[in-house]
Amino acid sequence: MADEPLPLLPHEERLAPRTDLWVAAAFLTFSAAILTLTFRMPTYTDQGGQIYTAPALVPSFYGVVTGLLSLWLAVRAIRADALGPVGTGERRETGNSNARFVLAAALGVVFIVGLIGRMPFWLAATIFVTAFVAAFEWRPGLEPAARARRLGVALAIGLGTGILVTLVFERVFLVRLP
Amino acid sequence: MLDSLGQFGGALAHLLSGWGVLNVFWATLLGIVIGALPGLTATMGVALMTTLTFTMPHEQAILVLVCIYVGAIYGGSRSAILLNIPGTPASACSTLDGFPLARQGLAGRAMGISTSGSWLGTLFGILCVAALTPILSEVALKFQSFEFFWISVFGIVIAGTLAGGDPLKGYIAGFLGLFIATIGQEPYYNYQRFAFGSTDLAGGIGLLPALVGCFGVAEVLQAMRGPAVQAVASTIDSVIPRLEDVFKYWRTILRSGAIGTFIGILPGLGEDTAAWSSYAAARRASKEKEKYGKGSIEGLMAAETGESACVPGAIIPVLTLAVPGSAPAAVLMAAMLIHGLNPGPNLMLQTPEFFYQIVAMLLIADMSKLFFGLTLVRPLLWILLVPRERLMPVVFVLCVVGAYAITSRVFDIYVMLAFGFIGFALRELKFPMAPLILGLVLGDLLEKNLTRGLVLSGGSIAPFFTRPVSGALAAITILSILWSIPGFHARVSGLFRRRRAGSGAS
Repeated sequence: MADEPLPLLPHEERLAPRTDLWVAAAFLTFSAAILTLTFRMPTYTDQGGQIYTAPALVPSFYGVVTGLLSLWLAVRAIRADALGPVGTGERRETGNSNARFVLAAALGVVFIVGLIGRMPFWLAATIFVTAFVAAFEWRPGLEPAARARRLGVALAIGLGTGILVTLVFERVFLVRLP
Repeated sequence: MLDSLGQFGGALAHLLSGWGVLNVFWATLLGIVIGALPGLTATMGVALMTTLTFTMPHEQAILVLVCIYVGAIYGGSRSAILLNIPGTPASACSTLDGFPLARQGLAGRAMGISTSGSWLGTLFGILCVAALTPILSEVALKFQSFEFFWISVFGIVIAGTLAGGDPLKGYIAGFLGLFIATIGQEPYYNYQRFAFGSTDLAGGIGLLPALVGCFGVAEVLQAMRGPAVQAVASTIDSVIPRLEDVFKYWRTILRSGAIGTFIGILPGLGEDTAAWSSYAAARRASKEKEKYGKGSIEGLMAAETGESACVPGAIIPVLTLAVPGSAPAAVLMAAMLIHGLNPGPNLMLQTPEFFYQIVAMLLIADMSKLFFGLTLVRPLLWILLVPRERLMPVVFVLCVVGAYAITSRVFDIYVMLAFGFIGFALRELKFPMAPLILGLVLGDLLEKNLTRGLVLSGGSIAPFFTRPVSGALAAITILSILWSIPGFHARVSGLFRRRRAGSGAS
């Protein structure tokens, strides 16, 4: 162990070259969009302004640098055989579930876009937390009594969160709630 | 000296009067809990509490945030030792020896080492804050726009190069953060950049909603996507630290404290780099290398001391240069700005009492951490066992409240949600987050100093390279970038080898 390299953190692990190539393409498009928008900005030199204070100067600099870095990423990915047969260097992470991610993201979006502002915050928070807990703790084939108990727990957590968050932040921290 | 001690004593008394003691207790405890829970990080805790303590008097609000920061970095070791899951990225190193110790039935002793190492590390860092901040502030007062421009660029580049992971992606993340900071009205003509006619976008992207999104929402999504944490039942022996562990490894403690503080001072690196560097240095110097990774007390002590010494270290550049040393320190700096404080070289001139308050806050937080580290063992173990399905929706609700709290704009909640998805995608694509945050925080400073420097020099870029400090910073920045190019250092060292061989032959 003494001479073994230290283990990598999650963000230190490398992606497949093909994925890096797609990322580089996305950032190249992004930097092109920045540069297009900055070229349309006024320079104010006709009003006596100095070119160094032009609104586009700094963002266009960032756009150029981001573009160059993206090109570097693309070249590196291509040299690592990103254009080779599919599957080269692919590594699948174990234990991750895209379905769970989509469900969590969808519930979050519904909470923010669909519930907040349309009802009192405590009620919106109660509905969101109850739905979240109930959805993620749903197990097929449970006895009705066990299912009712789980739903009861979800409702209790939801109500507790809604009421406690509202009381603590509105009354103690004097924070306005949406 | 006596005057300084008097001011420090006054700051301590001021902070602990009224609600101060209560604030210290709940904030440190909350910090430890946030740190201990896998999926919740110190940055998220500080970002969330910045918005929620917005209405408090500024010294109490910053006290709460410092306690959260100190507590969270320490709390991460609990889950690292008991579950083999680092509560925060900073604690990843502690799993290497902490968990094997717990499996040997020494979980209590491991927690005792973690508590004593963390306490001593922060104490070491506090001494460095007290000693170095006034000196560095004096030096920084001589800096002009040219130097501040390079300090901002240096921060982003060094964060990309050394924060771990792919440096190239670190640079891209840093420039993405800088670009996002340009959205909204620019400083000279109030021109609305990238607003597309939206009055909300014209007001700019709120720093804290963006940070709450990048850390809070992204972490909720990542926790729900990832595999469930498997709880490991462990019998817990005494958590009282043993003096023999401290005395036997005093060299490791001092070395790790110095490394941790130094890494904290470097912009944008943070506690995880400090822990890994301290661990690696301790392993190189150790007489018991074979124990590392199998339950080495020295290894755990080094990691804990290093990461905790980094916390005060990361606050030093905030106070002296207005450049954060770590991601949570970036949020802390944003909180100072929101509360009307002016971090940077002028802080010691305009509000010197705040410097003493910061030192006092760190000391209070460190003592409070020691208290909870020794007393709250079982309740923290129960908290670790709360299923993520029940915890994460509550965190999400708090993120929404936090994003809305400062300006009461629903738009900020949408910003938080958007940055949650952006942060999640960037993490999945292996982009480090520290440069992105640094870019967001330093964007304004960089732009103002670049344009001011160009106006002062009549458009010449020469002073950016010819002034001594500016030139040195430029050289280090460019070298850092070159160093991250694969094969560059091999070619440079090959060049030197050939020259040596050539001169030897002649």
